[in-house]
Amino acid sequence: MRVISSDTVWIVCPAFNEERTLAGVLTRLIAHGYKVVVVDDGSRDKTREIAEGLADAVVSHPVNLGQGAALATGLAFALAQGADYIVTFDSDGQHRATDIARMIATLKSTRSDYALGSRFLAGRQRVPLLRRLLLRAATIFTALTTGLRLTDTHNGLRAFTRRGAAALDLRQDRMAHASEILSEVARSRLPYVEVPVTIDYTEYSLAKGQRASDAVMILLDLFARKLHR
Amino acid sequence: MIVQMVLSVLLGAVLLHGWTQLRRSPLVAWMSLTAATGGLYLVWAPAHTTEIAGMLGIGRGADLIMYLWVCISLNLLLSLHLKQLRQQETLTRLARHVALANAFVRTNDVRGAAAPTVARLQGDGRRSTRMRGHTA
Repeated sequence: MRVISSDTVWIVCPAFNEERTLAGVLTRLIAHGYKVVVVDDGSRDKTREIAEGLADAVVSHPVNLGQGAALATGLAFALAQGADYIVTFDSDGQHRATDIARMIATLKSTRSDYALGSRFLAGRQRVPLLRRLLLRAATIFTALTTGLRLTDTHNGLRAFTRRGAAALDLRQDRMAHASEILSEVARSRLPYVEVPVTIDYTEYSLAKGQRASDAVMILLDLFARKLHR
Repeated sequence: MIVQMVLSVLLGAVLLHGWTQLRRSPLVAWMSLTAATGGLYLVWAPAHTTEIAGMLGIGRGADLIMYLWVCISLNLLLSLHLKQLRQQETLTRLARHVALANAFVRTNDVRGAAAPTVARLQGDGRRSTRMRGHTA
């Protein structure tokens, strides 16, 4: 079913070596009528070819920079295209395209600028224990460092208004970008809301996801960023 | 006296480095300045070294100097790391500019075509329509 709306919604899909899942993800998004930009982050497989065959736009980093850099590039592209709403959507198949309409609707009904997906508001979900503990620790860290009271701080499904996206100054190229986005949401003082979304865990998405050991690098990156302008 | 002069030159270089970093990395710069100033003081007032070490609970003056040098070294490492981060940011901006300037944008609704019509973007994101495969 295609979305009938006068608003321009751009979906930003950062992708690095996602030839296994990208076609399916793009097909579902296009079926819903969204404009999709894939940011190919220096992939070495057929990600770029698949994206150019299906997406509305493909922006290709000449070298691998990291998911944070890919998201920032996608946001810059979508803003330049005049997007009214921008959604970030992982390319590994863990998100559902059906959740996007609800996020946009929530942005409108609550007059918020940021709709942040939460897997923990969507009823009972099969979240692996280690991941649940890691995400719980991340929510406490986020509350302490930004003051944001959230249930899920590392969910790749987010929707922004144009004003919200333009207010984000993203400089973390790699793993710390999710924390940085929340830090920027807090700094902007623009209204935000959490929206229940479903995560479909697969062996593939779990293997691609962050590990407990990454948390140390994230903390170091965030600390280093505080030390210089 | 010779060793004092050599150490003074080295610590003077650390002071200069800290001063140059004041605007970009204030915390790291002040750490460098403080440690180097302390080092200079100990170099020219060695009699105070053991006394200060005792006050700090370290014991020997030589250990105090070694700890101070370790602090300076770690601080310089941190400074180098931050410099590398800044270079990474520059690389990211450059790569993003190149990527946006060469973006593939579909202008027809035929998906999966071998050579679809695309528009390429200027560096600032403005669109200028060109055919893919016919660009310089």
